[in-house]
Amino acid sequence: MELKTQSDLIPTARQDGETVFGVVRGEIDLHNSPDLRGALLTILTTAKPKKLVLNLNAVPYMDSSAIAVFVESLQKLRKSGGKLYLTNLQPRVKGLLEIARLDSIFVICADEAEAMTK
Amino acid sequence: MLLRNRFESGKAVKNQTATHPAPNTIELKIDSNPANLAAAREAVEQLCRSAGFDEAAIGEVGLCVNEAHANVIRHAYENVFDRPIVIRARFDGTQVIVTIRDWGNGVNPAELPPARPDPLTPGGLGLVCMEKMLDEARFEPQPDGMLLTLRRRRNRAA
Repeated sequence: MELKTQSDLIPTARQDGETVFGVVRGEIDLHNSPDLRGALLTILTTAKPKKLVLNLNAVPYMDSSAIAVFVESLQKLRKSGGKLYLTNLQPRVKGLLEIARLDSIFVICADEAEAMTK
Repeated sequence: MLLRNRFESGKAVKNQTATHPAPNTIELKIDSNPANLAAAREAVEQLCRSAGFDEAAIGEVGLCVNEAHANVIRHAYENVFDRPIVIRARFDGTQVIVTIRDWGNGVNPAELPPARPDPLTPGGLGLVCMEKMLDEARFEPQPDGMLLTLRRRRNRAA
């Protein structure tokens, strides 16, 4: 089932049972991270997923404000026993998550297929 | 050369100016609107690219400049979007030196309590990035704000 987020940052999202798959696109900084937050809150309140799988292949850059948005989403998911999966990370993004020590808190996967096995 | 209303990257930003006072030097006079973050970061990254930094280093310098710039917007100017910021960057042959000057509330991040170690607690990640990715991040209080100087050598030992 397609989900509408009305955000250019997550142009497509689909729900498959208790899992939502979203594709995030573009550079994310303090200017547009509120948009990302709005899109993720829409997904979480509308679909109430147990697994949220976000493909970041098309995110060449993000800053700490984007990290804060993902952390907020993770905390909301955890309240209902859910998990946040980040897949297809570009090296620059993966490096930032490692510095933030969040690479072991988010579930980092090579791709969506791997996320479905965890 | 004066580039009115346009940064080196070619993206138009209203009412901002970018100049090149000398080779390998840029000066950006912008307001504290978050819409300016990307163009400022890209201008500094391009200077590093022209100076022969590798892509990983370019990314790290760009991220740190962005984080410092965002901190000015959020903390020095408390999310007021029409205050002045001047960013200068130059390559001196061995290192890129970036200064960020604001006329904000003068809060010195270096004097704040260190960020709590819990990665799920927001805040402080920008300073952590600067500490790990740069050779120096120095805050110098000014009578009317703050001057931050960032340095990163091109050939930095791992």
